[in-house]
Amino acid sequence: MLNVLVVDDALVIRKNITRFLTELGHKVVADAKSGSEAVNICKDINGIDLITMDITMPEMNGIEATKLIKEILPDISIIMVTSHGQEELVSQSLKAGAKNFVLKPITKEKLEQTIGTLFPDYAKENDDELLDE
Amino acid sequence: MYDTYSQLLVPIIDRLESFLEDDMNIDVVNDESKIINSEHITLKENTVLIGTGGSVQLIIAMGFDDTVLEKLVDEFCYGEIYEGEELIEIQESVACEVSNTVIGNAIKNPIDDSVINITPPILIHEAKSLAKYKNSMILETEIKTVDGDIQLTVIGPKDVFSNKLNLKEL
Repeated sequence: MLNVLVVDDALVIRKNITRFLTELGHKVVADAKSGSEAVNICKDINGIDLITMDITMPEMNGIEATKLIKEILPDISIIMVTSHGQEELVSQSLKAGAKNFVLKPITKEKLEQTIGTLFPDYAKENDDELLDE
Repeated sequence: MYDTYSQLLVPIIDRLESFLEDDMNIDVVNDESKIINSEHITLKENTVLIGTGGSVQLIIAMGFDDTVLEKLVDEFCYGEIYEGEELIEIQESVACEVSNTVIGNAIKNPIDDSVINITPPILIHEAKSLAKYKNSMILETEIKTVDGDIQLTVIGPKDVFSNKLNLKEL
Protein backbone atom coordinates (compact mmCIF):
# COMPACT_ATOMS: atom_id res chain seq x y z
CA MET A 1 0.00 0.00 0.00
CA LEU A 2 1.25 3.45 -0.93
CA ASN A 3 0.51 6.66 0.94
CA VAL A 4 -0.63 9.15 -1.67
CA LEU A 5 -1.22 12.90 -1.86
CA VAL A 6 -3.72 13.90 -4.58
CA VAL A 7 -3.33 17.41 -6.01
CA ASP A 8 -5.91 18.87 -8.41
CA ASP A 9 -7.98 22.04 -8.46
CA ALA A 10 -11.06 20.14 -9.69
CA LEU A 11 -13.08 18.53 -6.89
CA VAL A 12 -14.43 15.80 -9.14
CA ILE A 13 -10.94 14.76 -10.22
CA ARG A 14 -9.70 14.66 -6.62
CA LYS A 15 -12.67 12.47 -5.74
CA ASN A 16 -12.17 10.16 -8.72
CA ILE A 17 -8.43 9.71 -8.24
CA THR A 18 -9.06 9.02 -4.54
CA ARG A 19 -11.70 6.45 -5.51
CA PHE A 20 -9.37 4.70 -7.99
CA LEU A 21 -6.40 4.67 -5.60
CA THR A 22 -8.53 3.29 -2.77
CA GLU A 23 -9.86 0.55 -5.06
CA LEU A 24 -6.24 -0.24 -5.97
CA GLY A 25 -5.44 -0.71 -2.28
CA HIS A 26 -3.63 2.57 -1.63
CA LYS A 27 -4.28 5.17 1.05
CA VAL A 28 -4.92 8.81 0.18
CA VAL A 29 -3.43 10.60 3.17
CA ALA A 30 -4.39 14.10 1.99
CA ASP A 31 -5.56 16.08 -0.99
CA ALA A 32 -4.84 19.61 -2.16
CA LYS A 33 -6.44 21.96 -4.63
CA SER A 34 -3.37 24.01 -5.47
CA GLY A 35 0.37 23.64 -5.77
CA SER A 36 1.03 25.83 -2.73
CA GLU A 37 -1.34 23.75 -0.59
CA ALA A 38 0.51 20.61 -1.72
CA VAL A 39 3.88 22.09 -0.77
CA ASN A 40 2.59 22.92 2.72
CA ILE A 41 1.17 19.42 3.15
CA CYS A 42 4.54 17.93 2.19
CA LYS A 43 6.17 20.03 4.93
CA ASP A 44 3.61 18.87 7.52
CA ILE A 45 2.92 15.20 6.75
CA ASN A 46 5.54 12.46 6.85
CA GLY A 47 5.48 9.20 4.97
CA ILE A 48 4.01 10.24 1.62
CA ASP A 49 5.20 7.79 -1.06
CA LEU A 50 3.51 9.22 -4.13
CA ILE A 51 1.88 12.42 -5.38
CA THR A 52 -0.54 12.72 -8.31
CA MET A 53 -0.14 16.30 -9.51
CA ASP A 54 -2.32 18.24 -11.92
CA ILE A 55 -0.26 20.54 -14.12
CA THR A 56 -2.66 23.42 -14.78
CA MET A 57 -3.82 24.97 -11.52
CA PRO A 58 -4.35 28.51 -10.30
CA GLU A 59 -2.06 30.10 -7.66
CA MET A 60 0.85 27.71 -8.16
CA ASN A 61 0.89 25.24 -11.04
CA GLY A 62 2.02 21.63 -10.83
CA ILE A 63 5.47 22.26 -12.28
CA GLU A 64 6.40 24.94 -9.75
CA ALA A 65 4.99 22.80 -6.95
CA THR A 66 6.99 19.78 -8.15
CA LYS A 67 10.23 21.76 -8.05
CA LEU A 68 9.57 22.94 -4.50
CA ILE A 69 8.43 19.54 -3.25
CA LYS A 70 11.50 17.83 -4.70
CA GLU A 71 13.64 20.26 -2.65
CA ILE A 72 11.80 19.16 0.51
CA LEU A 73 11.43 15.47 -0.37
CA PRO A 74 14.01 14.57 -3.03
CA ASP A 75 13.04 10.89 -3.16
CA ILE A 76 9.29 11.27 -3.52
CA SER A 77 7.61 9.96 -6.67
CA ILE A 78 5.40 12.43 -8.52
CA ILE A 79 3.02 11.53 -11.34
CA MET A 80 1.80 14.46 -13.43
CA VAL A 81 -1.80 14.52 -14.64
CA THR A 82 -2.35 16.25 -17.95
CA SER A 83 -4.29 16.41 -21.19
CA HIS A 84 -2.48 15.42 -24.37
CA GLY A 85 -1.89 18.85 -25.89
CA GLN A 86 0.39 19.82 -23.08
CA GLU A 87 3.36 17.64 -23.95
CA GLU A 88 5.71 20.56 -23.63
CA LEU A 89 4.51 21.03 -20.07
CA VAL A 90 5.02 17.33 -19.39
CA SER A 91 8.59 17.67 -20.56
CA GLN A 92 9.08 20.63 -18.19
CA SER A 93 7.51 18.59 -15.39
CA LEU A 94 9.91 15.70 -15.92
CA LYS A 95 12.81 18.16 -15.78
CA ALA A 96 11.33 19.55 -12.56
CA GLY A 97 11.55 16.08 -11.01
CA ALA A 98 8.31 14.28 -11.87
CA LYS A 99 8.75 10.58 -12.58
CA ASN A 100 5.92 9.93 -15.03
CA PHE A 101 2.62 11.29 -16.28
CA VAL A 102 -0.91 10.08 -16.93
CA LEU A 103 -3.15 11.47 -19.65
CA LYS A 104 -6.70 12.65 -19.07
CA PRO A 105 -9.31 11.26 -18.98
CA ILE A 106 -8.02 9.40 -15.94
CA THR A 107 -9.05 5.81 -15.42
CA LYS A 108 -8.19 3.29 -12.74
CA GLU A 109 -6.35 1.20 -15.30
CA LYS A 110 -4.16 4.10 -16.44
CA LEU A 111 -3.29 4.94 -12.84
CA GLU A 112 -2.50 1.32 -12.00
CA GLN A 113 -0.24 0.98 -15.03
CA THR A 114 1.61 4.23 -14.33
CA ILE A 115 2.08 3.42 -10.65
CA GLY A 116 3.32 -0.02 -11.69
CA THR A 117 6.13 1.55 -13.73
CA LEU A 118 7.31 3.50 -10.69
CA PHE A 119 6.83 0.77 -8.12
CA PRO A 120 7.49 -2.48 -10.00
CA ASP A 121 7.99 -4.47 -6.81
CA TYR A 122 4.62 -3.33 -5.57
CA ALA A 123 3.00 -4.22 -8.89
CA LYS A 124 4.60 -7.68 -8.78
CA GLU A 125 3.40 -8.17 -5.20
CA ASN A 126 -0.13 -7.36 -6.31
CA ASP A 127 0.10 -9.76 -9.26
CA ASP A 128 1.33 -12.52 -6.92
CA GLU A 129 -1.57 -11.89 -4.56
CA LEU A 130 -4.01 -12.14 -7.44
CA LEU A 131 -2.41 -15.42 -8.59
CA ASP A 132 -2.68 -16.81 -5.05
CA GLU A 133 -6.39 -16.03 -5.06
CA MET B 1 -5.39 31.02 -42.74
CA TYR B 2 -9.05 30.14 -42.30
CA ASP B 3 -8.17 26.52 -42.76
CA THR B 4 -6.00 26.69 -39.67
CA TYR B 5 -9.03 27.54 -37.59
CA SER B 6 -11.26 25.02 -39.29
CA GLN B 7 -8.60 22.38 -38.83
CA LEU B 8 -8.33 23.31 -35.18
CA LEU B 9 -12.06 22.98 -34.64
CA VAL B 10 -12.54 19.70 -36.51
CA PRO B 11 -10.23 17.65 -34.23
CA ILE B 12 -11.96 19.14 -31.18
CA ILE B 13 -15.36 18.10 -32.56
CA ASP B 14 -14.03 14.62 -33.32
CA ARG B 15 -12.51 14.26 -29.86
CA LEU B 16 -15.64 15.60 -28.18
CA GLU B 17 -17.79 13.05 -30.00
CA SER B 18 -15.46 10.15 -29.17
CA PHE B 19 -15.15 11.31 -25.56
CA LEU B 20 -18.94 11.50 -25.18
CA GLU B 21 -19.56 8.11 -26.74
CA ASP B 22 -16.56 6.10 -25.50
CA ASP B 23 -15.85 7.62 -22.09
CA MET B 24 -19.21 9.05 -21.01
CA ASN B 25 -21.72 6.64 -22.60
CA ILE B 26 -23.55 9.53 -24.27
CA ASP B 27 -24.82 8.88 -27.79
CA VAL B 28 -24.17 11.63 -30.32
CA VAL B 29 -27.21 12.19 -32.50
CA ASN B 30 -25.95 14.36 -35.32
CA ASP B 31 -23.08 13.22 -37.50
CA GLU B 32 -23.16 16.24 -39.78
CA SER B 33 -22.02 19.06 -37.51
CA LYS B 34 -21.47 22.17 -39.58
CA ILE B 35 -19.07 24.90 -38.65
CA ILE B 36 -20.83 28.22 -39.08
CA ASN B 37 -19.34 31.67 -39.40
CA SER B 38 -21.61 33.65 -37.05
CA GLU B 39 -22.31 37.36 -36.69
CA HIS B 40 -23.29 36.86 -33.09
CA ILE B 41 -23.93 33.99 -30.73
CA THR B 42 -25.74 33.43 -27.47
CA LEU B 43 -23.69 31.28 -25.17
CA LYS B 44 -25.39 28.60 -23.12
CA GLU B 45 -25.93 29.13 -19.41
CA ASN B 46 -23.09 26.77 -18.49
CA THR B 47 -20.21 27.72 -20.75
CA VAL B 48 -16.51 27.11 -20.24
CA LEU B 49 -13.94 29.42 -21.82
CA ILE B 50 -10.42 28.24 -22.58
CA GLY B 51 -7.79 30.42 -24.21
CA THR B 52 -4.97 29.16 -26.37
CA GLY B 53 -1.46 30.52 -26.46
CA GLY B 54 1.66 29.92 -28.48
CA SER B 55 1.49 29.74 -32.25
CA VAL B 56 -2.31 30.21 -32.42
CA GLN B 57 -4.14 32.55 -30.08
CA LEU B 58 -7.89 32.36 -29.74
CA ILE B 59 -10.71 31.62 -27.32
CA ILE B 60 -12.63 28.36 -27.35
CA ALA B 61 -16.03 28.21 -25.64
CA MET B 62 -17.82 24.97 -24.79
CA GLY B 63 -21.44 25.38 -23.63
CA PHE B 64 -23.57 22.65 -22.09
CA ASP B 65 -27.33 22.17 -21.91
CA ASP B 66 -28.36 21.46 -18.31
CA THR B 67 -29.49 17.96 -19.26
CA VAL B 68 -26.23 16.90 -20.84
CA LEU B 69 -24.27 18.39 -17.94
CA GLU B 70 -26.40 16.35 -15.52
CA LYS B 71 -25.58 13.20 -17.47
CA LEU B 72 -21.87 14.07 -17.51
CA VAL B 73 -21.96 14.60 -13.74
CA ASP B 74 -23.64 11.20 -13.30
CA GLU B 75 -20.94 9.52 -15.37
CA PHE B 76 -18.04 11.34 -13.70
CA CYS B 77 -19.39 10.61 -10.22
CA TYR B 78 -20.22 6.94 -10.87
CA GLY B 79 -23.80 7.55 -9.77
CA GLU B 80 -22.82 9.04 -6.41
CA ILE B 81 -25.31 11.75 -5.40
CA TYR B 82 -24.23 15.19 -4.23
CA GLU B 83 -26.35 18.04 -2.96
CA GLY B 84 -26.22 21.77 -2.33
CA GLU B 85 -22.94 23.63 -2.69
CA GLU B 86 -20.95 20.46 -3.21
CA LEU B 87 -23.17 19.56 -6.18
CA ILE B 88 -22.62 23.01 -7.69
CA GLU B 89 -18.85 22.64 -7.28
CA ILE B 90 -18.99 19.16 -8.81
CA GLN B 91 -21.02 20.45 -11.80
CA GLU B 92 -18.53 23.27 -12.34
CA SER B 93 -15.53 21.01 -12.14
CA VAL B 94 -17.11 18.45 -14.50
CA ALA B 95 -17.85 21.14 -17.12
CA CYS B 96 -14.31 22.49 -16.80
CA GLU B 97 -12.69 19.04 -16.85
CA VAL B 98 -14.65 17.89 -19.92
CA SER B 99 -13.62 21.04 -21.79
CA ASN B 100 -10.02 20.87 -20.61
CA THR B 101 -9.66 17.18 -21.46
CA VAL B 102 -11.30 17.38 -24.89
CA ILE B 103 -9.53 20.55 -26.00
CA GLY B 104 -6.22 19.49 -24.46
CA ASN B 105 -6.41 16.08 -26.13
CA ALA B 106 -7.25 17.52 -29.52
CA ILE B 107 -5.47 20.77 -30.03
CA LYS B 108 -2.24 21.27 -31.88
CA ASN B 109 -1.15 23.53 -34.68
CA PRO B 110 -2.29 21.81 -37.91
CA ILE B 111 0.42 23.53 -39.94
CA ASP B 112 3.54 22.43 -38.08
CA ASP B 113 2.09 20.12 -35.37
CA SER B 114 3.54 22.41 -32.71
CA VAL B 115 1.91 22.35 -29.30
CA ILE B 116 -0.61 25.04 -28.48
CA ASN B 117 -0.81 25.79 -24.78
CA ILE B 118 -4.17 26.20 -23.13
CA THR B 119 -5.20 28.33 -20.17
CA PRO B 120 -7.04 26.97 -17.13
CA PRO B 121 -10.78 26.78 -17.89
CA ILE B 122 -13.15 29.52 -16.74
CA LEU B 123 -16.85 28.76 -16.23
CA ILE B 124 -19.44 31.46 -16.85
CA HIS B 125 -22.89 30.76 -15.50
CA GLU B 126 -25.24 33.19 -17.14
CA ALA B 127 -25.79 33.16 -20.86
CA LYS B 128 -23.99 35.99 -22.64
CA SER B 129 -24.44 37.28 -26.12
CA LEU B 130 -21.31 37.78 -28.19
CA ALA B 131 -21.32 39.92 -31.32
CA LYS B 132 -18.66 40.03 -33.98
CA TYR B 133 -16.90 43.39 -33.93
CA LYS B 134 -14.46 44.85 -36.45
CA ASN B 135 -11.57 42.43 -36.74
CA SER B 136 -13.05 39.46 -34.93
CA MET B 137 -14.38 36.17 -36.22
CA ILE B 138 -16.76 33.73 -34.56
CA LEU B 139 -17.04 30.11 -35.72
CA GLU B 140 -19.55 27.85 -34.06
CA THR B 141 -20.99 24.38 -34.23
CA GLU B 142 -23.35 22.32 -32.11
CA ILE B 143 -23.05 18.69 -31.13
CA LYS B 144 -26.44 17.11 -30.52
CA THR B 145 -26.70 14.16 -28.15
CA VAL B 146 -29.57 12.14 -26.76
CA ASP B 147 -29.04 14.01 -23.48
CA GLY B 148 -28.89 17.56 -24.86
CA ASP B 149 -26.63 19.80 -26.91
CA ILE B 150 -23.07 21.03 -26.56
CA GLN B 151 -22.19 24.30 -28.27
CA LEU B 152 -18.62 24.73 -29.47
CA THR B 153 -17.39 28.19 -30.43
CA VAL B 154 -14.05 29.56 -31.57
CA ILE B 155 -13.43 33.29 -31.37
CA GLY B 156 -10.36 34.80 -32.98
CA PRO B 157 -9.02 37.79 -34.85
CA LYS B 158 -10.38 38.13 -38.40
CA ASP B 159 -7.02 38.81 -40.03
CA VAL B 160 -5.94 35.23 -39.52
CA PHE B 161 -8.91 33.91 -41.53
CA SER B 162 -8.88 33.89 -45.32
CA ASN B 163 -11.91 34.66 -47.45
CA LYS B 164 -12.49 30.90 -47.89
CA LEU B 165 -15.45 30.78 -45.57
CA ASN B 166 -17.30 28.04 -47.35
CA LEU B 167 -17.42 26.13 -44.15
CA LYS B 168 -16.29 22.62 -43.85
CA GLU B 169 -18.80 19.84 -43.32
CA LEU B 170 -17.88 16.84 -41.28
